[in-house]
Amino acid sequence: MQNDILSILNESEALNAKVFSLVRLKLLASLAALGPDGATYRELRAALGINDGVLFANLNVLKEMGYLTSGKITSEGKELELYTITTEGQDEWKRTRTWLCRFLHCGA
Amino acid sequence: MEENTNLAVQVPPLRCMTMEKRKKVIAFFRELGFEFNISRFDDRLIAQKLVCLLELRGIDLGYSCSMYVRGPYSPDLTQDLFAFTREFENLETGSRLNTAEKEAAGELGRIFGLKPVPLEVAATYGYYAIRQNCDPLEALRQVKRLKPFYSEAQIALGISNAKEFLSKPTREDLEELKKETGIWQRASLKSLEH
Repeated sequence: MQNDILSILNESEALNAKVFSLVRLKLLASLAALGPDGATYRELRAALGINDGVLFANLNVLKEMGYLTSGKITSEGKELELYTITTEGQDEWKRTRTWLCRFLHCGA
Repeated sequence: MEENTNLAVQVPPLRCMTMEKRKKVIAFFRELGFEFNISRFDDRLIAQKLVCLLELRGIDLGYSCSMYVRGPYSPDLTQDLFAFTREFENLETGSRLNTAEKEAAGELGRIFGLKPVPLEVAATYGYYAIRQNCDPLEALRQVKRLKPFYSEAQIALGISNAKEFLSKPTREDLEELKKETGIWQRASLKSLEH
């Protein structure tokens, strides 16, 4: 077998284990696609169907890890919170996605 | 070392195509009188939704839109908006719109008037109705699920605009649509007065 499971599992040591929660993976995947444009809190809540408490807590964890930044923006006269992925966040998401693909044998 | 002539032939056309699609979008911005400013969130939103609506109408701009947390969206366009900001902000283009494209731009400006909310609602509704082949009720349900922060009046107005821009209705259809959405449009206009 070309990719033996033990070496794939060992490669996971290079990853940040704190990223491996469903909510955090959803957030990183969503924001990675939008790049510097980012998404507002209300867009993330509606599209991902995550309740306020869980969403807020996980966004903050990702911010503390340096993977996201947030700031106030104005849209149609309303002040909203915008979340954007950082370069570190993009790199971590790429590593995680590549590893997950290998883990699931989808040939990344 | 011998020069790779194949590569030399292939690279320029690819770069040209990439530049051409960007210049076409800028030509639409210019036609619409859209003074894009990268630092404004609403401008970036308007740019995305204009492109998605034009693509949904069958104008191939080369920026394909898919569904993301922000509704129909093109990451390639975002990349270009940030990489070639000066060109977009200064409306630098040599590209010209043909008759059909000018007509589409004219309708886009007349129907939406560069307002972010109707553009966003319309692009989302259009995406579900056209790309996902949803029936009107299901498309409406999806818009409400994805954009619950917009009022019923804003959603009704956006959908009415989408139908007007994306379909070619008969005179009877337009009368029917006017009756159907008139109450919401009036309510929406009234709410703007406050």
